[in-house]
Amino acid sequence: MSAPPISDALYDELVGILGAENVLVDKPARYNRTRVPAPFPVHRWDDHVPDVVVLPTTTDEVVEVVKLANRNRTPIVPRAAGTGLADGAVPLRHGILLDVKRMNRIRDIDMTDRTVTVQPGVNMLKLNEVLQPYGVFYPDNPASYPCSMVGGRIGTSGWSLIGARYGHTKDLVISLEVVLPTGKVIRVGGGAGGKVRKSSTALTLKELFFGHQGTLGIATEAVLELVPRPEAEFAAFFSYSDYDTAYRSCGALSKSGLATLAGVVLFDEWKLDYLRRDDEAYIEQPSDVRCVNAVALYGTDAEVVPAARRVMEIGHDTGGRYLGDEVSQGDWAARHDRYAIPLHGRLRSSGQVVPMSWHCEDAALNYSVLPQVREEWHAIADRYIEGYGIFDDWGMFAYTNGSHAPWGDYLVEIDIGIWEQKLDDENWAAWTRCKTEIAAVALKHGGSITACHGATRAGEVDLVPSELGGAFDVMKDIKRLLDPNNVMNPGKYLFDQAYE
Amino acid sequence: MAGVARELPNGVRMGHGDGQVNGGGHDDGHREFVETWRDTAYGCFSSGHKFCRNVCPVMQVTRNENHSPTAFHANVVAMERGHLTVADVAEDYVHCTQCGACELRCPNTLMAGDFYRARTRTVDVVKAMRAFAVSQGVEQPNWSRWVEATVDAKNEPVLDVPVSQANVRDWAEDLGIPTGGSTLLFVDCEAAFYRTSLPRSVAQVLRTGGVEFGLMAEQWCCGGPALEMGYPEAARTLAEHNVADWRGCGAERIITLDPHDYISFTEDYPRWFGDDYDFEIVHVTELVAELVRDGKLTFTVPIERVATYHDPCRLNKRKGIHASPREILRAIPGLEFRDVDHVTQWSYCSGAGGGLMVEKPEITAAISAQRLEHAARLDVDLLVSACVWSERPLTTAGLEQDPQIEVRDLMELVAESLGLHTAGVRREAAQQ
Repeated sequence: MSAPPISDALYDELVGILGAENVLVDKPARYNRTRVPAPFPVHRWDDHVPDVVVLPTTTDEVVEVVKLANRNRTPIVPRAAGTGLADGAVPLRHGILLDVKRMNRIRDIDMTDRTVTVQPGVNMLKLNEVLQPYGVFYPDNPASYPCSMVGGRIGTSGWSLIGARYGHTKDLVISLEVVLPTGKVIRVGGGAGGKVRKSSTALTLKELFFGHQGTLGIATEAVLELVPRPEAEFAAFFSYSDYDTAYRSCGALSKSGLATLAGVVLFDEWKLDYLRRDDEAYIEQPSDVRCVNAVALYGTDAEVVPAARRVMEIGHDTGGRYLGDEVSQGDWAARHDRYAIPLHGRLRSSGQVVPMSWHCEDAALNYSVLPQVREEWHAIADRYIEGYGIFDDWGMFAYTNGSHAPWGDYLVEIDIGIWEQKLDDENWAAWTRCKTEIAAVALKHGGSITACHGATRAGEVDLVPSELGGAFDVMKDIKRLLDPNNVMNPGKYLFDQAYE
Repeated sequence: MAGVARELPNGVRMGHGDGQVNGGGHDDGHREFVETWRDTAYGCFSSGHKFCRNVCPVMQVTRNENHSPTAFHANVVAMERGHLTVADVAEDYVHCTQCGACELRCPNTLMAGDFYRARTRTVDVVKAMRAFAVSQGVEQPNWSRWVEATVDAKNEPVLDVPVSQANVRDWAEDLGIPTGGSTLLFVDCEAAFYRTSLPRSVAQVLRTGGVEFGLMAEQWCCGGPALEMGYPEAARTLAEHNVADWRGCGAERIITLDPHDYISFTEDYPRWFGDDYDFEIVHVTELVAELVRDGKLTFTVPIERVATYHDPCRLNKRKGIHASPREILRAIPGLEFRDVDHVTQWSYCSGAGGGLMVEKPEITAAISAQRLEHAARLDVDLLVSACVWSERPLTTAGLEQDPQIEVRDLMELVAESLGLHTAGVRREAAQQ
């Protein structure tokens, strides 16, 4: 397909708003703002190239660009770090790519009311470097902590590794400023959208702007929670010789009622095999270590010291073997870096290492269904590995999912490698079918397609209406109300149906 | 040398329809280039995690994804698939100091480095792309002039001072250093012509420590900058002269006072000269730390300053040398040393390296300003570096701080604490 290039008039107007240094039309600028880490149809790269990239620094500039796009019916796609594992920042209809990386000011650190106010292009690691002397931190802590940005965390409704203790992005963003698709600016949050955490005035709109994947507007400022830096951290790894024992132990740990519990992570047998295979971050363990639970506590000394004793008792009493301080302290810290990386890709047929991209399925599932979903998901992956020779099963994690309530549901992740160099239309179609099947299993068991990344990816997005039922109709009504001309990240979340 | 064969994109507005496959029209150079670098590039492209971005000194100030290490790899994939040409991307590759932070922070290096003995090779990709661009006639104007002048004068045209072989040893005029010998001190161009306080300090410190050394008969530029800017042939010519000079002098050991030279002599020269290249290469920081440890150098003059240390990228990130300078600083009496660990400093840089200061001085200045802001938060009045190339932009940035922060080379401080009166020039400071 081929859409017309942007007109001289549009270019001139953008330059008038932003200055020439913030309007990029060179090809590398546009080709390098297409993909995110999720598997990318590299054989169809052209389909996702924006026509122009803009780099605003102020809310006013965003407003003017959005108004221009709305007036001209030009698609506009917001992009923060571009580190999401769904495809929220991947353009589907070309148009204007609005990159917020130059909106990286920390506007206000309020130690009295315990908030920090930032622009959306701020990264959490960098923010916490600045906050360190104040004795506080912003505890939104995904695996992408070193690279993702506040704007993207809002747009995807991010999930934090220590969310059981501190909450996830939607809990940690107290309020935000949003430029709506028409250019109107609103603040949402408690009451007037300032520094109030809880309000009962009228409708609660804030959560509408978490997880919309750039389809409802662009966050231009956020007021974030500041939390005292923990005095004490504790991490323990327990091993098990079979999945059922590990699963029951995981349940007991997550239901312990310890308020300092930051998370429990269950590694299944496939994950252990994968880590053994070639990941030196996993310190070598005896062969009867088949599954692992990792537990972490954060808080004051008064809380964590006795809670740690309780964790050790529960772990031991439910069949776990403590793996020692070196693994427990070292490996929990390394979790932020234990990303699935291309060099972990292996072909089943030959064992050959090939560079594979990482798909991280991230369903939200209740505790009761974890064993069954695990079997069904690995069976699906196995079929596609055998059938196509470009996939690899990198195992599963189950992470406690609820904010401050870790006992009932889990972020359940199966990691699958895809050899992108081999992608063509046939293989890409197979991949999207694979994702549809995986998502369907989650729905069959009463879960949700996604706990943290978003359900915008090809394949699984088709199941969103069946997950949401009548709520999907309301979603479409909201989209049409806020974005009458379908200019904000068009093509995502089946929202085209709202305009039919 | 030809001028720049690239137009800036002002007014050139292309839609996505221009991304048609055009790889078939390229010459063998293009095919050879993408086939050489494609697999390395896919290791990054298929990852896309971008952990590198927040440690990249250039990205931290330009906030433009074109300049990210990720883009440097993705462009190779796009070139392989016919979406981009070297002319499209060459100017983006100027935006790199070759500091190596991205390689260290890359999940591929961190998580599979030991197992696969792999380190992400972004610096090599940047150097290769720059050389490929030059080979295709796509040059950057300031680099082109810089390398041309270097080839003419045999030393780099460091700014504001006369540069020629006739005065390459002026800094040592009254020191009576012999020519030749088994140990040679190689004096970087910036040090020989611009910051002469550094080589004078080093020479006298070594002499005090009982190290016998001489100078080359005829010292040319190490060639590293030309190589970094994309001119491998020019670099090789300079290197061949230097190695021949070393052999002519009977040298076995070369002491470097500049981390950039240290990279050239430990990475580029061995690759070019193979097994015949059997010189011991020592960075002066390692040698002086050893002399202090062995009691051959004893500090006597207190330096009543509050200081922090700037890890030079090529020592810390590229060569893993970060302990010896700290060891020296902690031994200096009177000095209150407020350290920032070397891993945090992966994201610090002066912005001077990789030719950036020559082609994009405004970006270098912004990176140095950011580095001095880190120092200012520590309430120090002195920033100590061990890289002469960093010291010019860092000094300028330090003078802009309020209160000002002075920038000194570690060896200047060592000389001072040994009670040596070294003289020589530190030009930016002298201008104030």
